[in-house]
Amino acid sequence: MKVFAIDINRCNGCYNCQLACKDEHCDQPWPPYSAAEPLIGQFWLKMEERERGQVPVVRVSYIPTIGAQDEAIRDYAPEVLMPREDGIIVLDPEKCQGRKDLAEKFPGVYYNEELDLAQGCTGCAHLLDNGWTVPRCVDACATDALLFGDEEDFDLTGATKLTEGSHVYYFNYPKRFIAGLVFDPCRREVVIGAPVDLVSGDEVVATQLTDDFGDFRFDQIDAGAYRVVIRAEGYGEKVIEVDVSEEDRYIGDVALDQ
Amino acid sequence: MGKEAIADKTVVATLGFCNSGMNSNIGAIDVKDGRAVRIRPLHYDERYTEEELNAWQLEARGSVFKPGMKSFLPPLSLAYKNRTYSKNRVPYPLKRVDFDPHGERNPQNRGTSKYVRISWDEALSIAAEEIKRVHDTYGPMSILVQADGHGETKAYHGQHGVMVELFQWTGDALIQTRNADSWEGWYWGAKHMWGMEPVGQNIWQTNVIQDVAKNSDAVLYWGADPETTPWGWGGQQASRICYWFNELGIKSIWIAPDVNYANAVHADKWIPVYPNTDAALQLAIAYVWLTEGLYDKDYIASHAVGFDWFEYYVLGNEDGVPKTPEWAAEKCGVPDYTIKALARYWAKHNVSIAHCNGGSYIRSCFAHEPARLEIALLGMQALGHPGRNFFKFIEWSLWSMKGLSPLPCSEVFPTTEGAYHGRNRADLPPNGTFIPKTLIPQGIATEADNPLKWFGHTLSGAPMQDQLFEYEFPVDDNPGVRMIWSDSPCWTTCWNGGHEMEEAFCMDKVEFILVQHPWMENDTTFADIILPVSTKLECEDIGTDTLNGQWGILCHEEQAVDPYVECISDWEACLGVAEKLQEYGGIYKKLVKKMTQGLDMEQTLERGFKMSRCTDEDLTWDDLKEQQFWMSPTMEGWQDEPAGMIEFYEDPDNHPLSTPTGKLEYYSTTLAKVFPDDTERAPVPKWVDETEDHKERLTSERAKDYPFLLVSNHPRWRVHANCDDIPWLREIPTCKITGPDGYGYEPVWINTEDAAELGIKTGDIVKLFNERGGVLGGAYVTERIYRHTVYQDHGARVDPIVKGRQGLDRGGANNTIAPQATTSKNCAGEVTSGYLVGVEKVDVFELAEQYPEAFSKPYDEAFGLTADRYIIEEA
Repeated sequence: MKVFAIDINRCNGCYNCQLACKDEHCDQPWPPYSAAEPLIGQFWLKMEERERGQVPVVRVSYIPTIGAQDEAIRDYAPEVLMPREDGIIVLDPEKCQGRKDLAEKFPGVYYNEELDLAQGCTGCAHLLDNGWTVPRCVDACATDALLFGDEEDFDLTGATKLTEGSHVYYFNYPKRFIAGLVFDPCRREVVIGAPVDLVSGDEVVATQLTDDFGDFRFDQIDAGAYRVVIRAEGYGEKVIEVDVSEEDRYIGDVALDQ
Repeated sequence: MGKEAIADKTVVATLGFCNSGMNSNIGAIDVKDGRAVRIRPLHYDERYTEEELNAWQLEARGSVFKPGMKSFLPPLSLAYKNRTYSKNRVPYPLKRVDFDPHGERNPQNRGTSKYVRISWDEALSIAAEEIKRVHDTYGPMSILVQADGHGETKAYHGQHGVMVELFQWTGDALIQTRNADSWEGWYWGAKHMWGMEPVGQNIWQTNVIQDVAKNSDAVLYWGADPETTPWGWGGQQASRICYWFNELGIKSIWIAPDVNYANAVHADKWIPVYPNTDAALQLAIAYVWLTEGLYDKDYIASHAVGFDWFEYYVLGNEDGVPKTPEWAAEKCGVPDYTIKALARYWAKHNVSIAHCNGGSYIRSCFAHEPARLEIALLGMQALGHPGRNFFKFIEWSLWSMKGLSPLPCSEVFPTTEGAYHGRNRADLPPNGTFIPKTLIPQGIATEADNPLKWFGHTLSGAPMQDQLFEYEFPVDDNPGVRMIWSDSPCWTTCWNGGHEMEEAFCMDKVEFILVQHPWMENDTTFADIILPVSTKLECEDIGTDTLNGQWGILCHEEQAVDPYVECISDWEACLGVAEKLQEYGGIYKKLVKKMTQGLDMEQTLERGFKMSRCTDEDLTWDDLKEQQFWMSPTMEGWQDEPAGMIEFYEDPDNHPLSTPTGKLEYYSTTLAKVFPDDTERAPVPKWVDETEDHKERLTSERAKDYPFLLVSNHPRWRVHANCDDIPWLREIPTCKITGPDGYGYEPVWINTEDAAELGIKTGDIVKLFNERGGVLGGAYVTERIYRHTVYQDHGARVDPIVKGRQGLDRGGANNTIAPQATTSKNCAGEVTSGYLVGVEKVDVFELAEQYPEAFSKPYDEAFGLTADRYIIEEA
């Protein structure tokens, strides 16, 4: 079966994937595979942007999503799919007339009001059947963040899927981070080499030493509540409660007490 | 379904925006049923193997980096067919409805009045008649030619500046000289410290990427955005290199007021700094090094002159103010403890600095100071030592200079000069025949009894010595500017003080404005006559891609699609005017033949091929047309080229800089001699707080009324003014913010805390304003911008609500409110970032009631502004 393998750590957010998809399909029907996508408004591949953290530890994670490549559609409405051996989900435009339910039920499937039909990513099946080896989004990717191929050709260990039946696998799917800077307010110096514990419940889940800038950063941790414990020699212990259930946190420039 | 079902033919085209005889972003364009159906990367391996291309390979720390076997197109090129099919195209020749060349001209209505369709014959006849009349009445220097700047890059069909090739046969014209717009600080400052002609940035960059990969512990991306700025002229190789550096564990540190797009995905650390306060940070770093003995004294002794002057200033002996981290922290917003930590880390490690031009770091007032101070710091840490260099992610091999490419070069960088039509970049026009681009509104307004004066041509290619000469306009009783001909109509949204320019365009003395352009945007709407120009995809041409960081490429660009309505190319339009002028005889006799040298397009293109530097002796012009592109293999022996400035590092006497002393001049011998009284650009680089012309600090009195510093970068989703109408880009949340009235507003980034104080949330429409006027924007509340700072890209399409000084622009073209005063008193650079603005929430529906006409223009939800807003439909 054909799958997408996407490495979030190599996605620079250029939107080439979303744009190439539109370049292929907007105002351009590829019968019998697809009807024309409207010029704007639909995103068969949709880039999701997540701004994370607070000044001065801020990053953006970009997550290309391809909702329509999902076995759930086959389970729900096998009759609307074009028969294919490579497993790609192709909504047959002939059979998706009036099927608003598909758009309502599945993210990545859109309803074209003008043509009265449900439509979405076809994996560029019209190109694959004519000599192409990858869809437009993958061809346009400059950083190899998006790959496409046979499932068995990828090592998908540790990869994340957004839904059980999705054909899209993610590496380095963003979790949470906690970051901070430690300094001595009397000497006006950052504190280098201070041990910082990340504690969940009663368990120390990670320990770092502050770097040359007094910085620490616990990356790719699970959402939840933590305690950050800073125990620098010559200073009092500092304990900070941090909740990253909802968002990543920069806990601030932490002043240590002598 | 067969292959013909997905494309009838495939052509190649270079889709970069440099427009100076150099190009990039080569792509494949599939055409079906006469329409461009897809633009995609060109796969080199469809024609070449890595062996045939002698593919280079960088190795460091157990990892390998290769050039890649396809072009790495940026989104701007990938989505480019929308520019061809834009609803904002100028379809046919147009005349302003209230412009009568033989009666009332109504110049005051420029920018406001609409246009009517006229024939090509009438349009060209009026243009020729006006040129003849202005020549006869006022002389050739009364025609201002705005003929420069970035845009589509063509060869035969015309770079910007095609009309210069017409006027060179008729006594020349008054030239708008392009300032070193993205390099201002380096051009006006760094050159006086380390030479590095022509723009003041390192010209000894060979093998620096390899050097950094092997030897650097950290890279300081100082105001640099490798995920944005290189897009227009190089594509996305820069992104791949940043990922490689990440993978190698090289610490990536961003110093800027904003989390730019590269910072957002590559940074290990961000040090936020207030816009245009980098000089304070740099001086404090120098202070730490001086007081803690953390710099290379031996290197300074052998490689630098005047260091004691610098030391004297930094320690506070000159002005009683030691430039301590505490002193700097207040000015630049970086905590004193972080300044000290950065200084000490830098002194202990191999650190290089990376740039991509632009932004508040280098395009604000006194930009020469941070540029010089950066070189001063690099010098203190033995610039040129392995792992300690200055390099760029952009403009690789600019002007075919191998020293500008930090990646291995090809055997040749092909050129299109044999087929090129446009202004000769090397020209330094005589006094009285040019006006710097930064001074155009004043240049238009000035009269013979009070000439405008400035130093230098300001052209990027001009040598340092040129900055020492004073020039003026007008000279010899020249009656000044009476006509303007532009093929790059974007001054109002790209240069310093667009609202003033709107007024200049409307002056009575400017009797005729001719614009040729594909789109109804920006200054086009101030024309009296508009000539419709075809886009890249509508032309056959010869092209090169030499800025990609892979290989030099030469290509034949087959015409992809038919021209839009009545469009013709820039060069063809220019020939059309020449043909009409010929009818007047005299100096215009045989003008077309003089311009074309008697060659038709095919012959000219073939000449271009023959002069292209192509090294494949067996390849003919017909072969190139058949195979579409030719690639120059990697040069032999690239590994032996010096790594960056290693030769200067090892032996400065035999590898001197181009400064008068051959050394790093901490005290500029030139500035001391020529401008001894200049306190804004003194011989020693300094912190300049305020001057008569510029009071742009958070501590300035003006900041009470305008409490934010504006960061205006080279735009993410445009190249300056290009591509603002691409629907698929406009759907991206950081490209446009849709207001409650359905209009796509240019985003304004506001820090979360500042926004809370102002009562502003994402999606609100806000006004940025100062004494010079205001622009609207869509609020984007974010942690990606530092406090007391707001961010809005430049180059949005001008959409005037009120034109002229104190005007208001709906499009968010913030250059309209940039300071008109230049970099400093002797430096005619632009100040288009890092200036004060106020921010307030507005109610667009109230504004619409107040300005019903401005708010009821035709508008397309996909393309935004459309050409029909200015065209009166035929009955």
